Amino acid sequence: MSYQKQNPPEVQKVLDLISKLKLPFILGVLAIIGVSSSFYTVEPEEKAVVIRLGKFIGNTDPGLHFKLPFGIDRVIKLKTEIVLQEEFGFRTVDTKTKRTTYSSRNFDTESLMLTGDLNVAEVQWVVQYQISDPFKFLFKTSDPVTNIRDVSESIMRRVVGDKLVTEVLTTGRVEISTNAKILIQEVLDKYDVGVRINTVKLQDVNPPKVVQASFNDVNAAKQEQEKMLNQAEEYYNKVIPEAKGKANKLIQEAEGFASEVINEAYGDAERFSSIAKEYRKAPSITKKRIYLDTMEKIFKTMDNVTIVDSKIKGLLPIFSKQGEVK
Amino acid sequence: MNENKATIFLILIIALGITGFNSFFIVTEGKQAIVTHFGDPVGEPVTTSGVHFKVPFIHDVRYVDKRILSWDGFPNQIPTKDKKYIKVDTTARWRVNDALLFIKTVQNEQGAKARLDTILDGHTRDVISGHNLVETVRNSNDILDIIEQMKEKIKQQKANNKTVVEEEITGEIEAVKVGREALSQMIARKADKELQDFGIELIDVQLRRISYESSVEKKVYERMISERQRVAQKIRSIGKGEKAKIEGRMEKDLKEIESSAYRKAEIIKGNAEAKATKIYANALSKDPKFYEFIKTMETYQKALKPNAKFILSSDSEFLKFLK
Repeated sequence: MSYQKQNPPEVQKVLDLISKLKLPFILGVLAIIGVSSSFYTVEPEEKAVVIRLGKFIGNTDPGLHFKLPFGIDRVIKLKTEIVLQEEFGFRTVDTKTKRTTYSSRNFDTESLMLTGDLNVAEVQWVVQYQISDPFKFLFKTSDPVTNIRDVSESIMRRVVGDKLVTEVLTTGRVEISTNAKILIQEVLDKYDVGVRINTVKLQDVNPPKVVQASFNDVNAAKQEQEKMLNQAEEYYNKVIPEAKGKANKLIQEAEGFASEVINEAYGDAERFSSIAKEYRKAPSITKKRIYLDTMEKIFKTMDNVTIVDSKIKGLLPIFSKQGEVK
Repeated sequence: MNENKATIFLILIIALGITGFNSFFIVTEGKQAIVTHFGDPVGEPVTTSGVHFKVPFIHDVRYVDKRILSWDGFPNQIPTKDKKYIKVDTTARWRVNDALLFIKTVQNEQGAKARLDTILDGHTRDVISGHNLVETVRNSNDILDIIEQMKEKIKQQKANNKTVVEEEITGEIEAVKVGREALSQMIARKADKELQDFGIELIDVQLRRISYESSVEKKVYERMISERQRVAQKIRSIGKGEKAKIEGRMEKDLKEIESSAYRKAEIIKGNAEAKATKIYANALSKDPKFYEFIKTMETYQKALKPNAKFILSSDSEFLKFLK
């Protein structure tokens, strides 16, 4: 007690010492540090994790927030609203230019994978994700992005490994991405990474470069086949209708001929019957008239008529030198 | 003197402060701590985050990661049971589940990595070389069903007389008994058992990449190329065949059209002529003699051409009045 009573001057001395060290200045600095480190802003696309003396005490949403100064509260901000993307088999270098540029480096080790029929396909894909739980993202795994990459590669190979190379290259794309998305999420949930997979998108899926030419040749063959068949069909369609038309013409002509023949027959028959009817009334004179009429018609047109007496024999010698004898 | 005392007082306060700060420690999220007494661990590891107390100066604190950690294996070249050389690239996830044991046996993450390298590489090699290649690639036998379905479809199409190219079915398809996932679990289980001795829990092993060793890869590519060539060849020859079929059909249809038209035309003509003949016969048979005469007269007119040389005997009927 007496010691304490004696001491006030000593305490006073300490205070003097501190005042010599410019107490107001120190306090001022401390106050500035304290105030400036006791609030923080969270941007609209962010969420913040607040750690008080090492212990997680909660997340804060966008806006201005207060915290305990002097490093008692530590705030870690994460962009939870932004969709993040990991690329496999290729890398985007620059999206600022008019046309997005991609790295020319070779990522074959990432993209080449074995298909179920032990062929090889080159698969490029992206995984898009968002941080769904900032606390887990920070403190459950040491390197969440590495985990996402490792698991994505492993799962993509597992899914592609259960497909035929032709499926991978053509019809299986949608199924592969849906299955991969589900499985990647499943495994990452097991690690408690705190990430939500939005989409798994297959980009270029090709046969390996060295075999591409032969795959293209198959496509070319298909095209050729189609072209060849089209040409053949085209020729068929040109020839057959024409032949059908010709056939129709032939039949029409035959029908025309038929009516001609029949009508002529009727005509002739009628004519004959009529003449015959009159003829029977005066047979001998009619016959003579017809005979003479005919002769008249014939000789009228003739250029060369020779009359020879019936008693003359040896007609031949006269004409034999002139050739034809009629 | 007074100033001396003041200095001592100040030192005392500072010492008290240091002691105070030394009597607690902060365990941040994702960490765990072990309190040691001159190197000897005291009590259980502290796994809850926040502020904890200890005896100042005498007790020391060592921190160990509590999170899941990643291990990345070096790609190994391993022959499979069916003698195919492949490169296997594995990754694994692990965590320290017994910090005390961990610190005693491997001390830190670097030490743990060395153990993980040897143990995981060894088991990966054992498991992979004990199975056929397909077991590392496929996870199920779904693919066999798919092939069955395809074959069935082709059979149906063939039954419906359609030409099919069996290009889809290529490569080697054999059934898997174990599968990719089971293999990685097998590796994980075996490795986990050994890693327990180091206070490490293995979460899983992922076969990240399986690829052909470059000489095998070349052969696979060659096979793929020759398969594609075979398919292309087949498509081309099928195309030619189909073309010939169309051409044949055309030839057949053409002949059929032409000949049936001819047949129809001839029948029509024949019928008409028969009818005409009947008409003629009916009419003419009434007076055959007169017909003969009149027809002869007509025929003369038609048959005798103007430029013909005509020699008439003077005793012909026509000239009988000329005498």
